[in-house]
Amino acid sequence: MSSQPNGAVAARVAALAVVVVFLQTGIVSEVPIFGVAIDLTPLVVAFVGLQCGSLAGAVAGFGIGLLVDLTLVQTLGLTSLIFTMIGYGAGRLRELRDPRAALTPLLVGAAAAATSMIGYSVMEIALGVDAPVSLELLRQIVVGVALDTVVALPVWALVHRWLAPSLPDDPRQRRRSRRAYTTGGLSPLSKA
Amino acid sequence: MHDKTARRRRAVLVVLVALSLILLTAYFGESPNGRLHDVQRGFLTVVSPIQEGANAALKPVRNLFGWFGNALHAKTQLAEVRKQNNQLRAELLTRTEDERGYKQLLRLYKLDGGLHLSDYSPVTAGVIAQSPNLWYLTVNIDKGSSAGVRVNDPVIDGEGLIGKVTTTAPDAAQVSLITDSAVAVAAMINETGAPGMVYPKVGEPNTLVIRYLPANTPVSVGNYVVTSGTISSRGPSLFPRGLPIGQVSSVGEEAPYKSVEIHPQADLRGLETVQVLTAAPGSAPAQASSVSAALPPEQSSEAAGGTDTSQLASAGGGG
Repeated sequence: MSSQPNGAVAARVAALAVVVVFLQTGIVSEVPIFGVAIDLTPLVVAFVGLQCGSLAGAVAGFGIGLLVDLTLVQTLGLTSLIFTMIGYGAGRLRELRDPRAALTPLLVGAAAAATSMIGYSVMEIALGVDAPVSLELLRQIVVGVALDTVVALPVWALVHRWLAPSLPDDPRQRRRSRRAYTTGGLSPLSKA
Repeated sequence: MHDKTARRRRAVLVVLVALSLILLTAYFGESPNGRLHDVQRGFLTVVSPIQEGANAALKPVRNLFGWFGNALHAKTQLAEVRKQNNQLRAELLTRTEDERGYKQLLRLYKLDGGLHLSDYSPVTAGVIAQSPNLWYLTVNIDKGSSAGVRVNDPVIDGEGLIGKVTTTAPDAAQVSLITDSAVAVAAMINETGAPGMVYPKVGEPNTLVIRYLPANTPVSVGNYVVTSGTISSRGPSLFPRGLPIGQVSSVGEEAPYKSVEIHPQADLRGLETVQVLTAAPGSAPAQASSVSAALPPEQSSEAAGGTDTSQLASAGGGG
């Protein structure tokens, strides 16, 4: 799969970004579970990277981060920075390792959520917060990562289904299918 | 070919990271009336009608999730509430406890009656978005400067103080909750009048702390904490006197100061409808208006034109 996104992919990623940000701020943030709200945005960024490659992942991360910062009137650039790293990292994982395990999205989702929450905390502390930081923050991060991990697979399924039609055929996937056929897979003729 | 792709990929990453850092530095360094803040306000103006529409359309879904959440929450709390109920019933049997509770309730009742909230030109608004972030405890509301909402106006719900307005657009505004790390409130213990500053406890959205309370201050668990409305060295308090903030949940003895934790009165995660006190006595915008009104007409119009009340208000800081 090319790491250079085409127009159709870019349009689909842009639509996905808008929908996920409004969904997050309009519904998901207002339904806390164990005192913490699920954050879909880092998951979507990571899965765009995992599906489309590091370049698209980084650009999507920057764009979604900027949208989040603008919509929620937060410190501009903070979410963009963290999400750019998440999108790029997930994309590089795909390009270097090409992970095909069914649980890969689960692990990538957990890593994205942890990076997002820990990244925010580190940046906020670095920028200077005039308030006592409680150990409860750690519990909230752990619960947040766990919740995001729980929803990672369905989110991956939706992102994958949304982006797959506009992506070009993956040559590695084609090679893999051909190898399976030549090394003992069923021939279309044998079905007849 | 591969090298070219790798170079391009790295270049894009470097550009995006650099852009983020530039934005971050510029935003962090500029004043609340700076260019990037203006861009954010403009964006909020554009998206707030969409957010409002999406919020209304998605309300049934949210209510459904909320119903499940509330049902689970209610179930887990049932045993605890029953235990508390028995304990309270036993306590009510003793005369001294009864008297003390009665006096506290009477004091609060008088306080509520004395607030005269209608005098503060309250503007009722709906919550249209809420931040998922642990660090930005903010909500966006569907009323803005066109409804008279200004920066630093106090915001309440039926239970008490919930925060202050930090950004306004014509038809929307952002409210930083009292549990947001950027908000501090001048407060006092209602029973004793002991003053202190209320700060959030980052990472615990249901806990506030009073700092700088002298060790000999009489305060005990169950005391109510209200806004003091006092004038500090940094300027007048943004919040009118007597707004309920919360109830003392624990008192720690750490010489030379006491560490007091408060449980907020309002349910800050389930906000739907709030009120903005657009003419709260003692608030910086209200004082700016009163100063402007006291000037002769020509100076008054000059002052009104030349000074943005939101600028005056934002210079007031937290409390």
